[in-house]
Amino acid sequence: MIFLFIALPLVVAGILPLVGKISPRLLPDILANAVFAALLAIALLAGPSLIGQGAGLQPLVFLGEPLGIHLALDGFSLFMLTAISLVGLCIGLFSVNYMEHYGHKAAYYALLLIMLAGMNGLVLVTDLFQVYLFLEVAAIASYALVAYGLGHEELEASFKYLMLSAVSSALIVVSVTLLFGLTGSLEFGAVSQALRSLDQPLAAGLCAALFIMGFGLKAALIPFHAWLPDAHPSAPAPISAALSGLLIKVSGIYALTRIFLKVFGLTPALSNILMILGAVSMVVAAFLALGQKDIKRMLAYSSISQVGYIVLGIGLGTPLGILGGLFHLLNHALAKSLLFLNSGSIQMAAGTRNLEEMNGLSKKMPVTAATTLVGSLSIAGVPPLNGFWSKLIIVMALVQAKRFGFALAAILASVLTLWYYLIIQRRAFFNKPDEKWRDVREAPFLMTTATVVLALLCIVIGIFFTATISTWIEPARDALAGGLQVIQSSIGIQ
Amino acid sequence: MSNVWLLYMGFAAVLLFTGLYCLLTMRNLVKLFIGVEVIGKAVTLGIVATGSAKNSILTAQALAVTFIVVEVCVVATALAIIINVYRHTKSLDIRKLTQLKG
Amino acid sequence: MMAVQIGLLCGLVVFSLLAVLVRDILKAAISLAVASLLLGILFFRLDAPYAGAFEISVVAGLITVLFVVTIALTKAEGGVRESRLAAWIFPLFFVVFLVIDFLVMRRLIGQIASLPAPAEAGTFGQVLWKGRTFDLIAQVGVIFAGVFAVLALFRKRSKHE
Repeated sequence: MIFLFIALPLVVAGILPLVGKISPRLLPDILANAVFAALLAIALLAGPSLIGQGAGLQPLVFLGEPLGIHLALDGFSLFMLTAISLVGLCIGLFSVNYMEHYGHKAAYYALLLIMLAGMNGLVLVTDLFQVYLFLEVAAIASYALVAYGLGHEELEASFKYLMLSAVSSALIVVSVTLLFGLTGSLEFGAVSQALRSLDQPLAAGLCAALFIMGFGLKAALIPFHAWLPDAHPSAPAPISAALSGLLIKVSGIYALTRIFLKVFGLTPALSNILMILGAVSMVVAAFLALGQKDIKRMLAYSSISQVGYIVLGIGLGTPLGILGGLFHLLNHALAKSLLFLNSGSIQMAAGTRNLEEMNGLSKKMPVTAATTLVGSLSIAGVPPLNGFWSKLIIVMALVQAKRFGFALAAILASVLTLWYYLIIQRRAFFNKPDEKWRDVREAPFLMTTATVVLALLCIVIGIFFTATISTWIEPARDALAGGLQVIQSSIGIQ
Repeated sequence: MSNVWLLYMGFAAVLLFTGLYCLLTMRNLVKLFIGVEVIGKAVTLGIVATGSAKNSILTAQALAVTFIVVEVCVVATALAIIINVYRHTKSLDIRKLTQLKG
Repeated sequence: MMAVQIGLLCGLVVFSLLAVLVRDILKAAISLAVASLLLGILFFRLDAPYAGAFEISVVAGLITVLFVVTIALTKAEGGVRESRLAAWIFPLFFVVFLVIDFLVMRRLIGQIASLPAPAEAGTFGQVLWKGRTFDLIAQVGVIFAGVFAVLALFRKRSKHE
């Protein structure tokens, strides 16, 4: 059943060119969005029961012979699958109208579905090399999607992204090879046991360092962030949403968390490194976001900053910290996708991404203005929206663990975040409308529906955050509990 | 781990260094991509050498073969992007691609 | 016997260096192909015939063809002038790196303990199809991604933003 998460998008992607020949406009849209909806339904309905009995390891049988496919669905994986399908559905709906100008939608949807399959696969596997493989599947699809518009800017951004990403992938494979050399196995559980019995801190440390460099680039942590401020703004708006909202989290943060908590165990040194990287990303990116004129660039720097928050929370290693980090992952995925989609609406309606040119669009585009407000306040951490609760939990966890410096940094970054988001609100929407925006109209129905859904989720999750946490986040945190033992005993927290 | 393995890894490290040097200093887009290819060779050598040293050469070959397939797809995508860049700027110079400030 | 392996390794490094440092991009691509050939032969000597066959036919063959097609399609006027400085400074860095590499490897001799891998059963086919089946699904995914990427990047553009 969970194999469908990978097989269905790939199969549909494969038949999309044929479908696209028959009906270039309607059928690809319907098919692609149907896939997203179906996967979301499976995740929501069948998922909790599948993990109810503990982690579900599914050996598959094909034609009577057991295949060597081991997919593991635990709380963390289910959480990621749900988030991916949910945001994916909204992105798919948005693309129906937005990608009209770009042409050849069948190829676009095929690439989007392949990226989805890659992300789903990454989340479900239990083998180090397969993590790399599905990461590459999603990455190759993303290179083409960033360059989709075929303009000078997009191609430049995509080329630089490709070069940096290829190097980081190579570092990841080197680390996997070293681990294979040390332990003789590639599967998470076996490697983790072997590393414990082997006790080779230098070699394990080298592998961990290579993983941090490799996955850190995928997650866009400073100092590995250089590709993101170019790639995310140049991509078409739904792809910016997919990259910022999903890909950097799945191929960067999920992989990092899974490997460090399941395979290595979070030692105090590792925890400190992650926290420092997170804190630096959080604060520096927030400062860099302040000076931007392009709305999508500002959002891109904001992504780097929020990823810093998530890594800070997860790096802390306490149960509360991981809870906060994972909750913020979900909230940021929802809110940042919402904001990027809205920037696409603005670009389609007003033809500009420059904040100094947009003025007073709120009268002409009320839905876009309202949803952007919800998204901005959510990321900035204003109660009672979801972002507030996740940031609060992270700060509380830091205070509880007596890391007051980091807590102050988190609060400082929050203030900066609020500042630059208010700039967006004011510039784009609240000033007096310029003359040239006389003919601007609200975005088409499907685009606004997608953004309204995301905004409503932000509000609902904000109000019902305890229910959300106990249904989705706590099982995810508990699935990672094994790696917490080391850090807990060293801080002295139970 | 045996000394022979260290020998192979030493050579793989040299290849990695060469590839990284190419990425840092060269200007021609295709030449930059050759640097990525050299890094790919280093990784493939590392995989097969590790498998050979651990007596699990079959698994290592499976990994290497899969890695080569991934490498081909990355090459195809990258060269498609490079050809498109050439159509825009009529040149393969990385210095022409400085519109974005990073 | 080791002499042949070391010879192949040195040849691999030399041709990779040529691929990076040579000015003419076509000669660089050919040099890369020769390096792949030597690597493939090395794999054969390491009892990895499948990896060797793949390396030679795919990397030395297919990828080189892709490179040559790209170079043919992008015959720039006068070519790109690489920085002379980079080529002249390189030997210095290279020698420094070689020394560091040699010293580190020598230091690590006998230092790295490792666990033996479980004994391998079956043939290569069985290991690939039964043991690492999911890698094959991932390969399908990567190939789809590559194919669609090329399709999307070379599509006909009637009107675009």
